[in-house]
Amino acid sequence: MEDFLARYGFLFVTILQQALLGLSLYLPLMAGQLSLASIGFYSLGGYVAAIMGTHPALAPLRDALGFYVYPLEWLVALAASTILGAALGYPALRLRGIYLALATIAFVQVFGVVVLNMPIAGGAIGIFGIPQPFENRLAYVWFFGPLLVLTLLFLWRLERSGTGRLFFSIREDELAAGAMGVNVTARKVQAFVLGCALAGVVGAMSAPLLNTWNARQGTFDAAVACLAYVLIGGRRSKWGALLGAALLVSLPELLRPLQNSRMILNGVVLVLACIYMPQGIAGLFARRKA
Amino acid sequence: MSLAWFLQNLVNGLSIGSVYAVFALGYTLVFSVLGILNFAHGAVFTLGAYLTYVLAVGEFGLNGLLAGMTLPFKLPFALALLAGALLSGLAGVAVEHLAFRPLRKRGADALLALVSSLGVALILVNLIQYLFGAEIYSFPSDVLGTLPPAVILHVGEGLVAMRTIQVVLFGVSLLLLIGLAWFIQFTKQGKALRAVAENPDTASLLGISVDAFILGTFFISGLLGGLSGTLIGVSFGLSGPYFGVAYGLKALAVIVLGGLGSIPGAVLGGLVIGLAEAFLPPDMSSFKEAVPYALLFIVLLVRPQGLLGKNAEEKV
Repeated sequence: MEDFLARYGFLFVTILQQALLGLSLYLPLMAGQLSLASIGFYSLGGYVAAIMGTHPALAPLRDALGFYVYPLEWLVALAASTILGAALGYPALRLRGIYLALATIAFVQVFGVVVLNMPIAGGAIGIFGIPQPFENRLAYVWFFGPLLVLTLLFLWRLERSGTGRLFFSIREDELAAGAMGVNVTARKVQAFVLGCALAGVVGAMSAPLLNTWNARQGTFDAAVACLAYVLIGGRRSKWGALLGAALLVSLPELLRPLQNSRMILNGVVLVLACIYMPQGIAGLFARRKA
Repeated sequence: MSLAWFLQNLVNGLSIGSVYAVFALGYTLVFSVLGILNFAHGAVFTLGAYLTYVLAVGEFGLNGLLAGMTLPFKLPFALALLAGALLSGLAGVAVEHLAFRPLRKRGADALLALVSSLGVALILVNLIQYLFGAEIYSFPSDVLGTLPPAVILHVGEGLVAMRTIQVVLFGVSLLLLIGLAWFIQFTKQGKALRAVAENPDTASLLGISVDAFILGTFFISGLLGGLSGTLIGVSFGLSGPYFGVAYGLKALAVIVLGGLGSIPGAVLGGLVIGLAEAFLPPDMSSFKEAVPYALLFIVLLVRPQGLLGKNAEEKV
């Protein structure tokens, strides 16, 4: 058992973490908006936590707060990503479909280069030696687990609220929703900012987990991986991101005996899943409506 | 800010920008016919560079499954470039068969085509890594034969260096762009292709074999991708199986900047981004990688349909 936990504890925590990132993509998708910006905010949140955790000028604050410095990091990351998310969302959400997706990729790329050029972010090496609250990596379940449960509860409530229904109405038909008097832009920005805020907090929790933080945390590849969780898991259900992350994060691990060819097989699974499960894994369980 | 400085940047920008344009056209062709972005295009770009390398140099690297193997022949560079491009075209056809056709037949969402093509990209890139190894490949300096490495021109007080490879890049790209424009505008097949892009159902009713033209589009797209991969590879080396990913992303910025689905737009976008990178002041060179995306972002905000794109009015 101990051996099992040592080996798969990190994997389990990674699944929760990646599922949360998938959910940060699911939020704008609820309003029909395909955004890949999450990974940029994940990176931002991570930098906030990394700087707060290591910057010498903040040592008195850390000493005074003890463990409570971590929740403070989450709050600061939440505030920073909400502000930046709103600043990005208002102009960007005039764009539709693939244009929005590409604009958000552009944002991720620009953000990566800007961060690389900021001395406080440690350049290409990044920030290392970020203090870790737990010795065992499995213990980070106490960070990501409650956040995941809270997020799922929030989504459950949101889906049944007026706001959630407005999101869905935009997803189903933006023009019709607008014609019915829905303030389409405001709702889209709202869904987008919620996703950004979540991604920022996940980043802030991930910096201690990974111990180092650098510009490689926010790459196009990582953004695409998050999108794959949602699409493979099922993009019309909040469970999709969790199912997709569980499958796609553990897949390379399950295929490890195949060594060099495992990433090839990983690609094969992606293609087959798109062809045979167009509604994702969650779609297989969905009740068929008459 | 002398004339020589201006001309030097112009030469640098035009040569790299013309390759961006050729690469981006591969995306644009597929987009204008199917309305989807083929994310495997960057992997085909990489594949083309590797194939040309092996055909021109005749041997594989030091790790990977094919390590130490040699080909019984070495092709001259021009032939290897052509053969590599044709093989990449076939790879494009394979991408269509694997990633796009099954989804199209099932009438699946365009988003899934995106993920499926990413899956194919993953397969291709890792296949390259498996076979060729993860090391850096660089074309030998004599790959272009006995041509001098550069021509130095005196302009006023300053010097302008035109590297031979830059001339090759620009020349090959220009030929391709003219050839493609002629093909699409004036040949019967080109007209049929435009009909398929305009409306596949109507084209099919007119007796055009839509599937055959989609295959043809992927062949041309793969050919353009593989060829531009080789050109970039000769110029800057092949930094590993992932070297196409960054260029693939940049080419996406190119087509959106120019206007999705617009062929002149892709050319203009490529040149604009190539020139913008070249004219970036040296003390800001650490921001070079952000230039295409910053430009893209600004253009999207001001003109969401891109520089030459048509503004499609959405109707109920």
